[in-house]
Amino acid sequence: MNKISFNYSKLLLPGILLAILVVLATLPLYGSNYSIVLLTSIIMYVILTVSWALFSGSTGYISLATAAFFGVGIYTSAILGRTFTASILANEYFVVFIVIIGGLISACLAFIVGAITLRLRGIYFAIFTFGLVELIKNLLLWYEVKFTGTRGRFVVVIGNETIYYVILGILLLLLLVTYFIRRSRYGLALESIGEHEEAAAHIGINVTMVKVIIFAISAVFVGMTGSIMAMRWTYIDPYISFDPNLTFLPVLMAIFGGTRQMYGPIIGAVVFAYLEEILLTRFPYYYMLIFGIVLAATILYLPNGLVGVVQKIIARLAGGKHAHSRG
Amino acid sequence: MWRKAIGYSLPVIICLLLLLIAIPGCQQAATPTAPKTTAPATVATATKPTTPAASPSATAAKPTKDKIIVGMSRPLSGPLSVIGDSAFRPIYETWVPRVNAEGGIYVKEYGKKLPIELKIYDDKSDVGTMTRLTEKLILEDKVDFLWPACGTSFLFAQAPIANKYNYVLITAEGGATSLKDMLPSLPYVFVSLSFSDWYEVPVLADLLAAKGAKTAYIMYIADLHGIEYSGVAGIELPKKGINIVGIKSVPPDIKDLSPIIKEAKALNPDAFLALAYPDQVMPATATSMELDFNPKAWLGGPGVNFGFYHTAFGPAVEGVLGWTTFARKSSPKLAELADILYSGKPEETNDWWGHPLYWAALDMWKAAIEKAGTLNQKAIRDILATEHLETVLGDTWFTIIGGGGGLLAKECHPGEVGQWINGVFEVVGPVDKATAQFVYPKPPWPKK
Repeated sequence: MNKISFNYSKLLLPGILLAILVVLATLPLYGSNYSIVLLTSIIMYVILTVSWALFSGSTGYISLATAAFFGVGIYTSAILGRTFTASILANEYFVVFIVIIGGLISACLAFIVGAITLRLRGIYFAIFTFGLVELIKNLLLWYEVKFTGTRGRFVVVIGNETIYYVILGILLLLLLVTYFIRRSRYGLALESIGEHEEAAAHIGINVTMVKVIIFAISAVFVGMTGSIMAMRWTYIDPYISFDPNLTFLPVLMAIFGGTRQMYGPIIGAVVFAYLEEILLTRFPYYYMLIFGIVLAATILYLPNGLVGVVQKIIARLAGGKHAHSRG
Repeated sequence: MWRKAIGYSLPVIICLLLLLIAIPGCQQAATPTAPKTTAPATVATATKPTTPAASPSATAAKPTKDKIIVGMSRPLSGPLSVIGDSAFRPIYETWVPRVNAEGGIYVKEYGKKLPIELKIYDDKSDVGTMTRLTEKLILEDKVDFLWPACGTSFLFAQAPIANKYNYVLITAEGGATSLKDMLPSLPYVFVSLSFSDWYEVPVLADLLAAKGAKTAYIMYIADLHGIEYSGVAGIELPKKGINIVGIKSVPPDIKDLSPIIKEAKALNPDAFLALAYPDQVMPATATSMELDFNPKAWLGGPGVNFGFYHTAFGPAVEGVLGWTTFARKSSPKLAELADILYSGKPEETNDWWGHPLYWAALDMWKAAIEKAGTLNQKAIRDILATEHLETVLGDTWFTIIGGGGGLLAKECHPGEVGQWINGVFEVVGPVDKATAQFVYPKPPWPKK
């Protein structure tokens, strides 16, 4: 008996995930054209947020380098896109190839940065990573002005559906990787680093190596997303690519959703991005005001994010049941 | 175990529900519960966002069409809002109610005048959001027309989208040589603003050369705008025998300009050009005064062309040059426009460069619809590309580049270079359109 119920519960979560995936994967068949565009944008935020939470959520190291990895992905796409002709780019496999290269270059950057800076703690690490965004932006600006005599670049335009499927693929990959990391010894190592780094080091975890590797892995997905989004934005320059908003928004989204569970950042990003869309289009003149109020209220009243509230409700429901059964 | 399963699955179900809400939500929530901020159809103004509920009727019921819906993605928040709110926004907020007060635009196809209704979204000064909202306006809201986003780099991203869906796009804030280079492949895009080699810098070079200027020093901002203007100046000025003795780029967030001004002063050029934005042009002016750097010609722009430049520096602005389009003396029509736009408002709102060109762009759009007698984009595009139409500038047309999109013909510009003379920003170049004589050398900065 026990075994059967165990199997059921094991199947429920993957089943629901599969259902969501099927809905998302078949959306272009029946959804409106704009639903694809909107979902691409929402998925972008989900990826950035989950990637951020993969490293920062568990270790407590606040990384503000998301925009740097994203921008590196964008520039990879812009530079490679110019190198190859449009006819080659019509081949969707080639788009995937460019996206993978973008992810790998971001990972290399994260690896180097991580190796140098992940010995820094707390606020110093946050400041350094944010400085990285500004550094790369200004370096690129200087390079473009000095050597290419321009500021922005045009990226080869590809169809919205291709972009949607690629970004969906990146999301799937990210969720799988996050799931397995959380359940591997690396996940436990990250947790223990977050709890008490010295203690983790003392029980034999190579803390720096674990941090650097996970930091680099999280950057892969951010870089890949940058590469594919560049093809949607069509025109990019250092200011667009290394926009500090792309650093702060994932952090806010993760806090909004709650960072303790894997699905916290996902829910945070989805709700946040959709809320933003509604406000920008329905209340364009009050967007900032309403958004600010929602954020302030979240921080004040939902310290554990949306998931925290949901869990509280579940706990209350379950607690009620228990009380009842005991009674 | 079940409890655990529920604990896991409930949030996921919520997530799924949210997605399901999102899908029909983005298929336009045309419900009557949408926030009721609609202005009455006949006097729809830009300050009032309209309900999405109005949009499906735009295409669904063509024969009974009762308004023209125009969609815009504008920077209502974020860093670009400062530019957007003072450049194109006051123009459409003045122009649309005036047209609607007359009943709207006559469209022969419907046999009546149709008022204009604006549907405005906030792109929060973010290109990604702007491209998404532009596609929303086209695909989801199916607006009749698209009006432009704000800023040159935004136009780079928006123009290909408008062109892809065959939507006419007459631009406002923004223009660049590089945008001109794209026009052959963008037949639906028409650029209204004048810019570096269209036809400001060549006119400046002529003006300076005629007065015998021999040397120039250029300070430019390290961005699209500065690179472009300094590049064009680097070609046009030497052509007229003006030697560039120094050229320095400055980052957009520079605070102290004194090293640059000191260097320029040491080289003693005849002309000093600050090819940057107000944030750099204002401190460059103040630093020049402080260090008593008073070349025979001092040009800064954009910045000098705004009313707030005069408000900030008062009589010290005498003789300072900037880019411009018109002055009250340019023509009676333009004097009337200045009255419409600036009478009873603080001087800070004045923009002698962009405003008449944006107004003319909207006049062109209206005239093209009336001439076409239809809201068909292709028909309107062809009229914009081929016909001369009457606007606030007089006879106006677009110069077509490489068989594609167009630039507002330079012959239609009422001016290119302006100068503060007796507290008025007059047109001094080109000479045949000047409203005042070019003062060269400029008077010295006032002594403290």
